[in-house]
Amino acid sequence: MVTIDLSHTGITEANEQIRAYGADRVDVEIVNPDARHNIGVGLVEPITVRVKGSAGYFCGGLSDGAHFEIEHNAGWAVGDNIYQGSVVVGGNAGAIPGVAIRGAEIVVRGNMGSRAGQVMKAGTLCCGGNAAFMAGYMMYGGRIIILGDAAAKVGQDMSAGEIFVGGKIESLGNDTMIVDMEPQERDQIMEFLERYKLSYSGDFTKIVNAGKKLRYANAEPRTRPQPFFVSSKSSHYWNPKVQEDIWIKGEVGRYRIRGYGASKPVPHLNDIAFTRDISSVAPNPKELGDINLKTTVGGRFGAKPLSLSMPVMIAPMSFGALSRKVKIALARASRLSGISENTGEGGMLDEQRAEADQLIFQCLSGRLGWNVKDMQRADAIEIYISQGAKPGLGGQLMAKKVTPELAAIRGIPVGIDLRSPSRHPDVLGADDLVIKLQEFREATFHKVPIGIKMGAGRVNDDIKIAYKDGFDFVELDGLQGSTGAASTEVLENVGIPTLSAVQEAIDGLHEIDAGDDMDLVMMGGIKDGVDVVKMLALGADCTSVGTAAIIAGGCIACMQCHVGTCPVGIATQDPEHEARYDLDRQAMNMHRYFESLRWQIAAITKALGYDDVHKVNRGDMVALTPEAADITGLPHAPEHKQTRRPLTGLELLDRKAG
Amino acid sequence: MKLNDAEYQFSITATPDLDDDTSDIHFVPAPCQVACPIGTDAPSYIAYIWEGNNEQALEAITATNPFSAICGRVCDAPCEPACRRADSDGAIAIRNLKRYVLEALGPGYALPPVEVTQDQTVAIVGAGPAGLTAAHDIAEAGYEVHVYEATGKLGGMMYWGIPRFRLPESAVQQDIDRMMAHCPGIKVHLNSALGEQVTLDELKQKHDAVLLSIGAFVGKPMGIPGEKAPFVEDGVSFLYRVNDGERPTLPETVLVIGGGDVAMDACRVAKRLPGVKNVKVVYRRDYDAMPARREELHGAMEEGIEVIYNTQPVEVIDGKALRCVRTELGEPDEDGRRRPINVEGTEHDIDCGLVIAAVGQKAENAELDGRGMMDWDRVRTELEGMKTTEAKVFAAGDGAFGGSTIVEAMYQGHRAAYYIKAYLEGNDSPLSYRTPYRTRRVSICNDPAWELNPRVEQQFHGLGQVPVEFPEIESTYTADEAKFEAARCFRCDAETGSADYTVSSRESIFAMSRITPKDVELEVSILQGRLKNRDNPFGEEHVPTLDDLVFLPANLSRLVIDPYREDCKTATDLGAIQSIRLDIPFVVTGLDSAPEEIRAAYAKAITQHGAAYIGAAPIGGGAKWIQIVDRDADAAADAVVFRAQRALEEGKVERAREAQPVGLMVDNHNLTQALPFALLQEVDFLLLDAGDGLPGIGAELTGAPDISILNHAISQLRGMNREEDIDLVYFGGLRTGTDSAKLLALGANAVVIGAAASIALGADISGGEPVFSADLERDEREERSFNLLQAFNAEAAMMARCTGKTNVHNLEPEDLRAVTLTASHAVGVPMAGSLNRH
Repeated sequence: MVTIDLSHTGITEANEQIRAYGADRVDVEIVNPDARHNIGVGLVEPITVRVKGSAGYFCGGLSDGAHFEIEHNAGWAVGDNIYQGSVVVGGNAGAIPGVAIRGAEIVVRGNMGSRAGQVMKAGTLCCGGNAAFMAGYMMYGGRIIILGDAAAKVGQDMSAGEIFVGGKIESLGNDTMIVDMEPQERDQIMEFLERYKLSYSGDFTKIVNAGKKLRYANAEPRTRPQPFFVSSKSSHYWNPKVQEDIWIKGEVGRYRIRGYGASKPVPHLNDIAFTRDISSVAPNPKELGDINLKTTVGGRFGAKPLSLSMPVMIAPMSFGALSRKVKIALARASRLSGISENTGEGGMLDEQRAEADQLIFQCLSGRLGWNVKDMQRADAIEIYISQGAKPGLGGQLMAKKVTPELAAIRGIPVGIDLRSPSRHPDVLGADDLVIKLQEFREATFHKVPIGIKMGAGRVNDDIKIAYKDGFDFVELDGLQGSTGAASTEVLENVGIPTLSAVQEAIDGLHEIDAGDDMDLVMMGGIKDGVDVVKMLALGADCTSVGTAAIIAGGCIACMQCHVGTCPVGIATQDPEHEARYDLDRQAMNMHRYFESLRWQIAAITKALGYDDVHKVNRGDMVALTPEAADITGLPHAPEHKQTRRPLTGLELLDRKAG
Repeated sequence: MKLNDAEYQFSITATPDLDDDTSDIHFVPAPCQVACPIGTDAPSYIAYIWEGNNEQALEAITATNPFSAICGRVCDAPCEPACRRADSDGAIAIRNLKRYVLEALGPGYALPPVEVTQDQTVAIVGAGPAGLTAAHDIAEAGYEVHVYEATGKLGGMMYWGIPRFRLPESAVQQDIDRMMAHCPGIKVHLNSALGEQVTLDELKQKHDAVLLSIGAFVGKPMGIPGEKAPFVEDGVSFLYRVNDGERPTLPETVLVIGGGDVAMDACRVAKRLPGVKNVKVVYRRDYDAMPARREELHGAMEEGIEVIYNTQPVEVIDGKALRCVRTELGEPDEDGRRRPINVEGTEHDIDCGLVIAAVGQKAENAELDGRGMMDWDRVRTELEGMKTTEAKVFAAGDGAFGGSTIVEAMYQGHRAAYYIKAYLEGNDSPLSYRTPYRTRRVSICNDPAWELNPRVEQQFHGLGQVPVEFPEIESTYTADEAKFEAARCFRCDAETGSADYTVSSRESIFAMSRITPKDVELEVSILQGRLKNRDNPFGEEHVPTLDDLVFLPANLSRLVIDPYREDCKTATDLGAIQSIRLDIPFVVTGLDSAPEEIRAAYAKAITQHGAAYIGAAPIGGGAKWIQIVDRDADAAADAVVFRAQRALEEGKVERAREAQPVGLMVDNHNLTQALPFALLQEVDFLLLDAGDGLPGIGAELTGAPDISILNHAISQLRGMNREEDIDLVYFGGLRTGTDSAKLLALGANAVVIGAAASIALGADISGGEPVFSADLERDEREERSFNLLQAFNAEAAMMARCTGKTNVHNLEPEDLRAVTLTASHAVGVPMAGSLNRH
């Protein structure tokens, strides 16, 4: 047993020492904790840490295998996301104790705050006293034992797991019910209580999910979207598309769902032109070798930045929305092209980690597949606040895709219509986010860049908060960003266009003299090198490509990603459908797409007269429409419009193939 | 020879007058259509088959293909390997779907006759696919065409070269009959061989142009010792005599040399003839390099034919055997295929009674040779204008460019016809020919199984009961099978509805993913395409609609709530002084003259949801009713609304009872005048009629509403500082709950659902007024009307929650941004992206 005195040791240094002792299997005593945040965060060694006093936020969070004993009280989110191991709180715990645990045992001898065990997946959360409102909120599994009283809405929106309450229950949450206990359940509880020396002799009330809201009631009839030429082109107001929507809502009584992003036209990069005529540019690859495209992302506070061969990333897309094979193919393409891949919501696959040189691990509100070990093997971390396709909403994964394998990696029940929470359990506002960010930094030893992903709304304000909260980079997603499943109403109507988003971000950062140390990664409708260069010229540092990469890898854009029976094996978890995906070939196709993108970026940069893509700037561009001019402030000069009808892709290939 | 690269080069800018859709930015031909040398609109005909519209399918099939019945059976179908679905669970069976349509309707399908309208005439020598296609096109342009055919039958290789078990004579006849009926200007001269019955000089003298489509009917020799008849026969002659009706008895073992389509047909014919037990195909390369269509090869193998790969004949041992050596594949030669190299010491004899050499065909014609018009084994022809060395003489087909497939020959026929017509019109330098691409813009199929269905294979019969009678080897689909297969089409031609990922941009991405960056020329072409700017989607004639507004989601600066779970209040008090209480901010209208069944369904739904109905008469069922007063206010109404014009004229609004909420219905014309009046009269709410025509919805259906009325009303109220003194109800063009959320955000207290309510119950609005039919049951009508209100309310609530609000009435203009300037003006909401700079 060694002692670390927090009165003269900073938390980062202390955590470093705890890890070092852990490696030697030496237990640690923390004195003068003074309710510091993030004590023991990121510890993955099986030692005991005794906190001689009270702990602040996230004590023992993001750990695996360690045992924490907190003498007095614990703050917000004690034991956050612990896999195995335990935390015992001698006094009271603040809100969301045991949030997102995946097997740990959390014991609070006193009372515990609201939303205890929110989105927990497995393990036991036990409270010797009373629990505040919404204990077991959105839990996906595991067991909560409350020996005292439970305040309102116990088990609100839980999907699975059990809650046992010894005292009074103020009210039950949505979609819950009281059921009889199995005899052995009581024995197991008593065994647990004995182990932690909690005495109790009364009865329990058992609360479980009632199963009425796990699936949408009426299935939406399966339809393919009306083609463009049927709906929008003849733009009469009550067009067949509008009529179809109304008809189907009459059938199902709710919004419709589909994949992809906004389909309606909004001002976009295509409404901007370069001032120089670069249409006759024809450099060969050798000439382009001198053009610098290298881009680093995330070095703001000294973490090891992502080092990209060009200002392009692969956008976050989940294993879940996409099949395993596609995630592996994307990872491979990212390595071959020297860019980064992103896990999206669904957790990290071993094969994906092995294939990708640089992998961003995304943390979402449901903490699905989130864990410290994958954090520590990630090259960057991204906290998801929202996305362009459905900002303000969590992810949606329809039951067909929630297979046993997928459910296991995410820690959720099989076969539910998964609607991820919209808000992080431990991030209610910008200030919480600061501490959350510190927790992640502690868990990854300050070595990994941490970014924030946002769908574009009040970007001008949000970007300032992101800057002041201390993120290394921002991934900002416009209205056109795609998804595997969302309400069509949200897809089309919530969020601002990508073009507006980048402008507001640049303006916002400028207004607070932020300089350029926080990298801005723009996404949402980036299709080619032309879009990438325009985005950089507007002020972005990097771009992120999702849909276009998927199209390069075989997507036919039927937009029925949510159904789970993707005809080409991309947006599916069904083995028969996934078998249709030729991983090796499509990985190469995506790689070729990225190489073509690289050629385009370099060729345009050269044609604009630069040797570095990061030198392109607003002076190189004009706006072609009044809208684009208004949004960007670029001069309105429609005479720069390029109008020659280009050869189509097929025609081009055919010219070549003969 | 396949056509070379140059042949397929497109010159887009140089062909403005071609009849196709390539100038439409929304149309990009599908890969199958591009792969077809004659540009068959396969996606459209497949879609028509799925719809059950075989007549339209037939039109699409035959539009560029005069030999549709033939192609339905024996086209080599380059479309199928090009099919995007080939990469996953198998290409769409495009060829067999064609056959299905032609068998269903083809024999009775006639095209109207095209009369001769031109003085000039054209001679065509040879009635194969190239010659007849040219004849068809030229005759369609009104010229008289004289076809001189050496044999006694029309069809060329289609008649003489393809065995009847693959292509029955009736199919050939069907196409020829249709063509002849359609083109009475085609005059046929059978048994008229060039150099025998007719001479070129004669034809040149009689006609204004001559097309030589003489074919390649002479089998090439193998070029090895001992190669002499009757032990060695060439494949083309063999097929010719069998197609002429002969059924010779052959020796027990027959060897067929070669790996092309003629070899496949020859071996399968031999297998069916009397006396034959074993048929072996000897091919000098491997399976992968074999040029024969896979289906033919597999068919042959299924019929028990053995294929010996990597084997090269070196000597014929007359009457006994074929001496061969083994080969291995060396470096690729000029045509890109790996050259077979004989392996020393591998000589062996394959015993046989007959050798059929199918190692290629060539053209021969003594007269043309004598005139110096031949270039070795074909007519010397320049590709660009299809011209020979002699004036006004053109050439096409296998005789000009070497062996090709039927559809390639047809392409050459179209091409030659194009240049001949230009020549006849005196145009010396016509634009380069290019295959036209048309689309019929058929909706995509909505079969739920479209992505699940596996490819339906044709039923294969093989040799049949009596092989020597040459029964057909396979049959086509049933109607159900055809529909099932047609449902599988990805419809690569069709837009899916995303402005960013149009077919065109997806094809560019696809192209980017299939090339190497070293291919600078192609990279440049793609980049040029990507640099092209679209037309302004919000040009001068753009009418702003609610689609031009977007909501700002909660993120960091505003607390995110949980839209899937957290409650959102929708209760609505309508009326500033006196009010009616609604549970949801919706009022339904437009059903005053609807059938009673429809009204009853909505009466129930409105009651269940705690909404209201607005109309001249109550909808019944206890539903709240807001009366639009035409004569007298009704005390039974929960609220009454007077038309502004009448109220202004009368100078008053009169309730039917004490405390009855009262509204004034205004439009953009009388708003300015009516609003002060309304305030003076202490009216509880204004009904803003942006749909021009309450309580009917016919006017609403005529187009987009004028959404500026809300802004006008609020600006005027704000100017008087009276915003809180009157409520606003909006009517016009409400299509979704999202529309209603936007209107609530802009300042409406409640919104009126008009046409959408009728559409949800299946009203046909194509005539301008909703027309209901009796295809729904009562409980379906009730469920649908309930669901519509539920969905609209839930959508409105979802929008509120996305912005971080838990009450729809907390939505405010600040939650909105405009994406067009016209909308920004109309509703007074700033543009997304430029707020802080203005």
